[in-house]
Amino acid sequence: MNILESILQAFESVRSNTLRTILTLLSISIGIFSIIGAGSAVATLDSAVNTQLVAMGENSFMIRRTPTINIGNSWRKYRNRKDITYAQAKEFKNNIESTDLISISDETDGYTAKVGNLSTDPDISLIGCDENFFTIKNMQIIEGRSFSAQEVLSATSTAIIGNDIVLKLFNGRKAIGEYLTLKNQQFLIVGILKSQGSMFGKSLDNQIMIPISTFMRYHTDEWGSSVDITGQAYSKQSFLQTVDESIGTMRSLRNVKPWEDNSFEIETNETISNQFASFTGYLSMFGIASGIISLLAAGVGIMNIMLVSVKERTREIGIRKAIGAKKNWILFQFIIEAITLCQLGGIIGIAFGVIAANGLSTLINAETQIPLFWVLFSVGTCTLMGLIFGSYPAWKAACLDPIEALRYE
Amino acid sequence: MNDNPLIHIQNISKVYEMGGEQVFALRDISLDIYPNEYVALMGPSGSGKSTLMNVLGCLDTPSTGIYTFKGLDVNEMSDNDLAEIRNREIGFVFQTFNLLPRATAVKNIELPLIYSGVSSSERKSRAIKVLQDVGLGERLTHKPNELSGGQRQRVAVARALVTNPSIILADEPTGNLDTKTGIEIMKLFRDLWLKGNTVILVTHEEDVARYAQRIIRIRDGKVESDEKNTVSQYSQGTE
Repeated sequence: MNILESILQAFESVRSNTLRTILTLLSISIGIFSIIGAGSAVATLDSAVNTQLVAMGENSFMIRRTPTINIGNSWRKYRNRKDITYAQAKEFKNNIESTDLISISDETDGYTAKVGNLSTDPDISLIGCDENFFTIKNMQIIEGRSFSAQEVLSATSTAIIGNDIVLKLFNGRKAIGEYLTLKNQQFLIVGILKSQGSMFGKSLDNQIMIPISTFMRYHTDEWGSSVDITGQAYSKQSFLQTVDESIGTMRSLRNVKPWEDNSFEIETNETISNQFASFTGYLSMFGIASGIISLLAAGVGIMNIMLVSVKERTREIGIRKAIGAKKNWILFQFIIEAITLCQLGGIIGIAFGVIAANGLSTLINAETQIPLFWVLFSVGTCTLMGLIFGSYPAWKAACLDPIEALRYE
Repeated sequence: MNDNPLIHIQNISKVYEMGGEQVFALRDISLDIYPNEYVALMGPSGSGKSTLMNVLGCLDTPSTGIYTFKGLDVNEMSDNDLAEIRNREIGFVFQTFNLLPRATAVKNIELPLIYSGVSSSERKSRAIKVLQDVGLGERLTHKPNELSGGQRQRVAVARALVTNPSIILADEPTGNLDTKTGIEIMKLFRDLWLKGNTVILVTHEEDVARYAQRIIRIRDGKVESDEKNTVSQYSQGTE
């Protein structure tokens, strides 16, 4: 009953000092917003990545010069790594015994494809790859065929294209057997990929595959020509063995001394998801840190507003004490009021955080995640804030001398 | 008259420390107040009558001396005990009404009952009842700023009455009212007294004090005189 009275009193003080209160509540909202926003964003990204990882193929791994996801200052560590050359990769492919499913690929962005008068935006990913690539990456060719080993060997001008390009350049016409132009070179279209949707806002259908040999000859970019090696073990049982063999082979090919670390990254679904976890870890840490800083600022604001409120209501406190309110009642009343104010700001922050998370998930086509944990965390934080920053003003109110308070004008 | 005094004060003093100097607000005051007395505490400003009222109302404790309320030693009481005594035993009426500005008449009157833990429904019915008793039955949901001065003071009296206190302590209750309204309020107090309530009235106006049955004059922190009221103004009220 008394709680209800105090909560109503809090709303009353919002109403009677609207601007002042709203400004203070705003800073709480911002703090809670960044906590909820980061929490939701992380949850959304996590679920998106997990979905995509499964699509990547069960027992596959990847060897690259640098990690896929790279955070912080660690680029220094990778800067001096030598490229994985095409020749080196081919040797690797020949030497591995525990699996035949090894693919060499490289990718570059910003390509424009043309057919007759039509041309795409300059945003196509061009991927050089081989005959194993599609199997390992779980990519289906819905029309036409994959590359043959012979094509890869002899660097033919053939291409397998994504659905976006079919839509843009052929618009219903048959694409297989037609030619498209990439940087003044004509490619015969031999296959069309099944649509894969998008990841993190980037379409996965806006890509063109050509044989890696052709890619290496004409299209390596100036950033270096380090290729990626993708492999797949035959079974779950042989996965670790294949990974071990790959590491050993790669070390010997790259002359890594026994006491040195690998001069390349070997990535599995697990390591990528770990890398991603450390990325999202940074994201949530950032969100929480900025949230806590603004909540601290908000806390000072709450204390200020409560002190003003106590001052303004000195006479009221005097009346309450005169007619029999005990110290604890007054203390309780003002703490509840502070908590209510904090919760009010918190609810606004939660609402906006969830809205922002929805926006993000729409942007990257992922399912929306509302991080219940963070919502509860926010409610808890607001309660704690009210308690901490409301205590001193409430204590001041509770300790007022009724005679002095009644005399206050 | 009852043999056991409601209030027993013996040799109390109140000393304030002001700039290292001791100032006596009350010096060695003794008096007893019995149930169903109507007492006026009179004195000019600075006489110590407000301090005496604060002590009698358990808002303040004396520096020295004995104060027992219904046989309980007030000096020994903690702040919370004093709050409880004020809540259950004393009904305050102030010169400036001291109502909560944003609460309705009924809510204002319910306030002391909230602190004594009375249930919501009982609070409301008791509040409405006393509001009707003071003649404001049709002003239940009005806020103080929607009421006249006399009506506000009636609400304040109703708030003082709602806990059925042993004493009604009124501090200059007519000080902020015009003469006519003041007379109405004094009639209200007289009626309460006639119904068996104990009333202590603090005032500096002879006209107001004359309503009481006993007049205690305070000067320089001492009791100057303590006598039965001979000019019975209260009988005029029945005209």
